[in-house]
Amino acid sequence: MTPTAVQAVIAGLERAGVTVASYLPDSLLEPLYPALDAHPGIRTIPCTNEGEGAAVCGGVFLSGKRAVLCMENSGLRAAAEPLARMGLGSGIPVVMVMSYRGELGENNWWAVPHGITMEPLLAALRIPHRVVREEAGIEQAVVDAYEWSYSAYQHSAVVLGGSVVR
Amino acid sequence: MTAAPASSMTRFSAMEALAGMLSDELVVLSLGGAVDEWYTAAPHLREASLFQQQLGCVTPQALGLAVGLPHRRVVSLDTDGGLLFNLGVLATLGNEQPGNLLVVVWDNERYQSIGGPRTHTSSGTVDLAAIARGAGVVRANTVRDVGAFAAACAAGLADTGAPHVVVAKVDTSPEGHVAAGHPVVRRKHSDGREDTYRFVRHVEATEGVTIMGPSEHN
Repeated sequence: MTPTAVQAVIAGLERAGVTVASYLPDSLLEPLYPALDAHPGIRTIPCTNEGEGAAVCGGVFLSGKRAVLCMENSGLRAAAEPLARMGLGSGIPVVMVMSYRGELGENNWWAVPHGITMEPLLAALRIPHRVVREEAGIEQAVVDAYEWSYSAYQHSAVVLGGSVVR
Repeated sequence: MTAAPASSMTRFSAMEALAGMLSDELVVLSLGGAVDEWYTAAPHLREASLFQQQLGCVTPQALGLAVGLPHRRVVSLDTDGGLLFNLGVLATLGNEQPGNLLVVVWDNERYQSIGGPRTHTSSGTVDLAAIARGAGVVRANTVRDVGAFAAACAAGLADTGAPHVVVAKVDTSPEGHVAAGHPVVRRKHSDGREDTYRFVRHVEATEGVTIMGPSEHN
């Protein structure tokens, strides 16, 4: 992930008014995490699993502040239970920025399941998403995700793939 | 086989003691009988309580709420089954040290909402307070009577420098509830979305903010 892609994510979060980021770091978004940690307007809360991070973000929503959950797309599987309960059951939205492990071009066997399961799982959870493969689209995708989630009170996801993360 | 109650302290009596200490705090609580008991034991906190129905999310949500409102006291009413579902949150609390968060764990050593199968704490070898201390939440204790419970909660509510965890060993059996002379607890009549709106409107009113606002009509 290039420094300019990192800055595009952060620019989107700034425009969306995000002040809290929970994350479980991964390799494709590796430079994003220290950049979030270093941001003076964002408090980071590293979590032990993505389901916990999703719940932290849900709690931040209830406070009137805005949070983001950053993770590898495999974290979607770990977070499926709390996401289903919060989104479909209670109308508590979580906006996610995740890396697209396992898309075409993936060269790690262990990452293949991430790509196969991500979009069906997003669909099953009724979570709209946008796959962004060009840096120029990152900032607006993040802003759009917040606009939608704060109208629908349901989760949304920005998936960073292609040359953005490789 | 029916195991002996975890404690002679009923959950309802502990809830009454805690409810008497709370006024403008925000409460997040877990599923099962605890929801309906809290609704009955703390009628003045119904708007200020977020009633959830999920394992493993209560304390993380309370942490997020506490981080978002650092000037506000937040109480997590978790359960043994709920905390065991995500023990990792204790490590997160240990690292984040939210000074405005009190976590109460109703430990009845069973999954009461599905009829009472045992949880891991029923073995007597699993000590949630010790796990919390090991994770960096040093002010974590187990209590077995209402006096000790009230004292531990009071200490947690008064301390703005660190999170507290109070593991309350409680009897949640219907027999214990009746024997203690507690009122009949009826099922709370609302769903998750209604609960969210009601809680959010309370936060909006008390914080002077808009969280779930109107559309912009563009």
